[in-house]
Amino acid sequence: MSRIGVFVCHCGSNIASGVHIDKVVEAAKLFPNVVYCEDNKYTCSEPGQFKIKAAIVEHRLDRVVVCTCSPRMHESTFRKMLKGTTINPYMLEVANLREQCSWVHTDKDKATDKAISLVRMAAAKVNENTSLFPSKIKVTKRALVIGGGIAGMQTALDIADAGHQVTLVEREPSIGGKMVMLDKTFPTMDCSACISTPKMVECSSHPNITIMTSSEVEKVDGYIGNFQAIIRQKARYVDHSLCKGCSDCMDACPVQARNNFDLGLGKRKAVYTLFPQAVPNKAVIEKKGASPCKFNCPAHLDAHGYMALTGVGRYEEALGVVRRTTPFAGVLGRVCFHPCEENCSRNKIDQPLAIATVKRFLADNARKSGKLGKIAVTAEPKDQKIAIIGSGPAGLNCAYMLALEGYKVTVFEALPKPGGMLKVGIPDYRLDKAVLAEEIKLIEDMGVEIKCNTRIGKDISFKALRGKGYKAFFIAIGAHTDSKLNVPGEDALGVVAGVDFLRESNLGNNPKPGKRVIVVGGGNVAMDAARTALRLGSDVTVLYRRSEAEMPANALEIDHAREEGVKFEFLAAPMEIISENGKLSGVKSIRNRLGEPDAKGRRSPVPIPGSEFILGVDTLIKAIGQKVVQEDLTAAGFTLYDRWGNIAANAETKTELADVFAGGDAQTGPATVIEAIAAGNKAAKAIMNYLEGTELPIEPYLMPEATVEADELKNVPRAARGRMPMIPIQDRRSTFKEAELGFDEKTAVAEALRCVNCAVCSECRACETACQSKAILREQEDELITQDFGAIVVTTGYELIDWAPLYGEYGGGRYPDVITGLQFERLVNASGPTEGHILRPSDQTEPKNVVIIKCVGSRDENKGKAYCSRACCMYGAKHAHQVLDKIPDSRCYVFYMDVRTAGKGYEEFYGRTREDGAMYLRGRVAKIYQEGGKLICKGEDSLLGKAVTVEADMVVLETAMVPSPGVVKLAGILGISTDPDKWLNEAHPKLRPVETNSAGIFLAGTCQGPKDIPDTVAQAGAAAAKVSALFSNDELETNPMISKVIDEKCSGCGLCVGCCPYTAISLQEIEERVGALRVKRLVASVNHALCQGCGACAGACRPGAIDLQGFSNRQLLEEVDALCL
Amino acid sequence: MSVIKEWEPKILVFTCNWCTYTGADLAGLNRMKYPENVRLVRVPCSSRVNPQFILRAFMKGCDGVLVCGCHPGDCHYVSGNYFTRRRFMLMQRLLEYNGVDPARFQARWISGSEAAKFRDTMIRVSKEIKALGPNTKFREDWYVKEAIANEPSK
Repeated sequence: MSRIGVFVCHCGSNIASGVHIDKVVEAAKLFPNVVYCEDNKYTCSEPGQFKIKAAIVEHRLDRVVVCTCSPRMHESTFRKMLKGTTINPYMLEVANLREQCSWVHTDKDKATDKAISLVRMAAAKVNENTSLFPSKIKVTKRALVIGGGIAGMQTALDIADAGHQVTLVEREPSIGGKMVMLDKTFPTMDCSACISTPKMVECSSHPNITIMTSSEVEKVDGYIGNFQAIIRQKARYVDHSLCKGCSDCMDACPVQARNNFDLGLGKRKAVYTLFPQAVPNKAVIEKKGASPCKFNCPAHLDAHGYMALTGVGRYEEALGVVRRTTPFAGVLGRVCFHPCEENCSRNKIDQPLAIATVKRFLADNARKSGKLGKIAVTAEPKDQKIAIIGSGPAGLNCAYMLALEGYKVTVFEALPKPGGMLKVGIPDYRLDKAVLAEEIKLIEDMGVEIKCNTRIGKDISFKALRGKGYKAFFIAIGAHTDSKLNVPGEDALGVVAGVDFLRESNLGNNPKPGKRVIVVGGGNVAMDAARTALRLGSDVTVLYRRSEAEMPANALEIDHAREEGVKFEFLAAPMEIISENGKLSGVKSIRNRLGEPDAKGRRSPVPIPGSEFILGVDTLIKAIGQKVVQEDLTAAGFTLYDRWGNIAANAETKTELADVFAGGDAQTGPATVIEAIAAGNKAAKAIMNYLEGTELPIEPYLMPEATVEADELKNVPRAARGRMPMIPIQDRRSTFKEAELGFDEKTAVAEALRCVNCAVCSECRACETACQSKAILREQEDELITQDFGAIVVTTGYELIDWAPLYGEYGGGRYPDVITGLQFERLVNASGPTEGHILRPSDQTEPKNVVIIKCVGSRDENKGKAYCSRACCMYGAKHAHQVLDKIPDSRCYVFYMDVRTAGKGYEEFYGRTREDGAMYLRGRVAKIYQEGGKLICKGEDSLLGKAVTVEADMVVLETAMVPSPGVVKLAGILGISTDPDKWLNEAHPKLRPVETNSAGIFLAGTCQGPKDIPDTVAQAGAAAAKVSALFSNDELETNPMISKVIDEKCSGCGLCVGCCPYTAISLQEIEERVGALRVKRLVASVNHALCQGCGACAGACRPGAIDLQGFSNRQLLEEVDALCL
Repeated sequence: MSVIKEWEPKILVFTCNWCTYTGADLAGLNRMKYPENVRLVRVPCSSRVNPQFILRAFMKGCDGVLVCGCHPGDCHYVSGNYFTRRRFMLMQRLLEYNGVDPARFQARWISGSEAAKFRDTMIRVSKEIKALGPNTKFREDWYVKEAIANEPSK
């Protein structure tokens, strides 16, 4: 049996005048378990409290009902009072007899009835109360400040000054935020940098502050006093412990990237500091990934790198970039089918860069100026000997890579000259063999031995080579025999294979095709054979079974062949070779039509019955594919082939024999030079791994592709691709002179400068060479750092609204001289792109007439935001003042809706600006258009009711503030809410402006809503004070009126988990005994530090397993029952 | 002369601590008047109210039940009143299906500053329920009465 004491308060006459207190007391005495009841004049007063305490002792009360004013007023008072007694503070209920009874009813009798009822309800409820005890949680005295603008810096400094640790996380490479971008600050016109950079320095030198730039908060778990945050330290590609901030790397960087700090008004390098006074003053590299040219190159040549260096005239370095991957710059520049160009982002706006031809220029330029030089081997010489079978691009590139590492390499070549298909496959008019010879010489000069006329299987065998001490073998013999047509009469005299024909021609054996030549096939070999035959004086027709669109040959090759006079028969296939007297005379062919697409998406040819026709021919060249010559290898003791007859090796070029590797055409079937080079490079890595027992990656380091959307390129000036000069067409028909002449220097540089720097960093590695501290970390990766915090302050700030898509009438971003206020700040800033001169971005002239338009995006529900951005009126006035101050004879027109200047000294500043001569026109600008270099602003002066037209040289739009991008994601991570405009919600708009509804998470500055610098700094101080107050405790007491789970009743349905807005409930495994067994099952579990005691879970729980202490099901049901009596 | 007491309904109002209870206190501070037949039960959040409580109230003789909370979107506990809204839309339909007039059970959003709205709501609801007369559905005592009346005579 409980012993309840009821104490009825008169509250002076507040209650007593509306309720018969004596009747209430009499009634209360009869309630169940009530053992004592008395009335007091003022229960909350000290004598009143004393009387309760005395009664508790005297009547051995174990619970108390106080019948006074609202519990929102004095419940905590009486709880505190009970702390000094034998009763638990939660053994108390308050009956609200004042606000909800005596004050709101006129009939005293009825009010008394109600009062009695209310007391009965309270007594019934208190009877079910249980003692509750707050638990303690430890406080980690380290604060996390997210956002390094002025709000974040001030918060961090204030918390740090109070003696607590702070981690300041900033997304950009420097702290400083928007304030350091500004020139002057209103209304005092003091220099923004002069007052904010000292704060930055103070932050960096404060012993209690850890600054993490280029970092973002990835995940936050935990609760007040005990947060655990995972922070992503984004790769900066520079070791900040080594970087001295000397800017050598920036001087070396060839890339001109958009300067985001200057809002695109200026350029910066790919390796940069955000601005000269950046904190930390350390370089970072902007890498968006691998540029599409590099990414899509089979060998991942740093195409972007050498293009960037070529653009700034550093040709030798550019050639060095190519030579990191291959010595064949001149060869590739001529013959590569350049997938880099196919994937160039400029395809999206005009034409791709002529990447291959620029590479050719680099090699040709070096040859012409005698700077082809030697390729230095810096690695220590190594003893292991490696044999490479075949001196094509795969074999030679493998040799090159191994030689660079110091290995002893011997290349065995069956033919009299090295070069493989480069030498004997590609005709001279495409590739000057002198170029090839010189580039092979580069490899030989590195110590690689090339043994020609040495055929595997005949002159050498693997066994013999192993015996001579060769530790590894790379088979790169190519695919040098033809595929068969499989038609009757194929063996007739006059039918030759394309590869054989080209080999003879290329080795100078002067093959003599007949007058009428038919080439069967549509690939590059077919084109080469056709154009070679043409040059040897034949009439050439190409017979191809599909249409031109399906031809595998390079489109340019087809065009060149056609220009030179090669004829084409499409959709025709040979059926039979006709010979007369053992001599080829004709080819019977059949017409095809295109059928359904096959698995690769190519439409397969379907013969049309009855469409046979005969073509007269003297020589027929088969060029429908090549195969690997197996006989030699088999004779040498190698027999591992796949089902296509190619050498069986995996993607890492490994065969089943540990010391034998294979790549190039021999392994893949006929492919391209660059693919062979890629295979050679991979084989070199695989061989090194094999020899050294290492596991280095086989593929070159490659980031994900950095794609650029057409939309991002809309402001890139259009520029046509450089034209390739060619020798006269008559020379092309009759001689084997190189048809394409390559770019001159001017064209090559212009071409290189068309690059749009997709990945920003070109990976030319000029910075690596320039950095004396060796601080560049090219392959750095993001790092995740986990740290514990006791409090979090969000200071993520604002962004300006993207006005261009919203305001087509202001040009929608098409007019370069229509700029935003923040861009104006950069123009007028001494460290900005114009060094403080207000110049038009279009022609760098000084504007005389400047129009300022306020409320662009603000106070415009239809297009932008409904709210006022608060700071624009003042900085609009400041901009007007600066125009008039800096530009002599200038005029400044300010179009406004209202002028709002609430702030100390603000109205006076506005007044002075008008006195300076700024013309304020009340109304909106309806349209801006360009006419003869002027921006015609058509607007309205609504005070005069007249249309106004101003011819402006520059228009400054004072655009709306919007929350910083990513704030919604951050709010989700932190579990705090945003308003419909995505500003972060404060806990109470007036009384708790810097707190959120999540305990321990605070806000400061413009992340909460638009405001100016003074308000931001004030909020920062307030947030810091809140954090410091929190950190003044070692432990926190939690509210014990929280949810509690009765495990036995819980079915583990998890319905409560989804109800909880604080993620305080989780399902956890318990072990319990069922009969003789121990079973595991899931039940809900409440984190007492996260639970805020709303009871949503208790309302949802069907078995009533989860209950809210202090408002339990039983307490509330008792209350309901009592009410109904 | 004895006065026959006019029948008064019993009206139970669940109020959340942060909005409606505060609004009711404000009505008191402003000495606004409303009928004595409404009794408030304070809960931390309207989402704390278990449907069981409402059925119990009708069982024990309540003539009307209200659940009042913060306006949607303004919940002190972020999202509690969204649960309330969903739960009691359903509850109201269920009760209606069982023959309880929808006016007897309602959910209302009254903020801490809306004292006048609180008063007006109480006056209107009290009037509506008074017009409906005593509730007969779910009532414990009525079932007992009916059970006795229907008991087959031995």
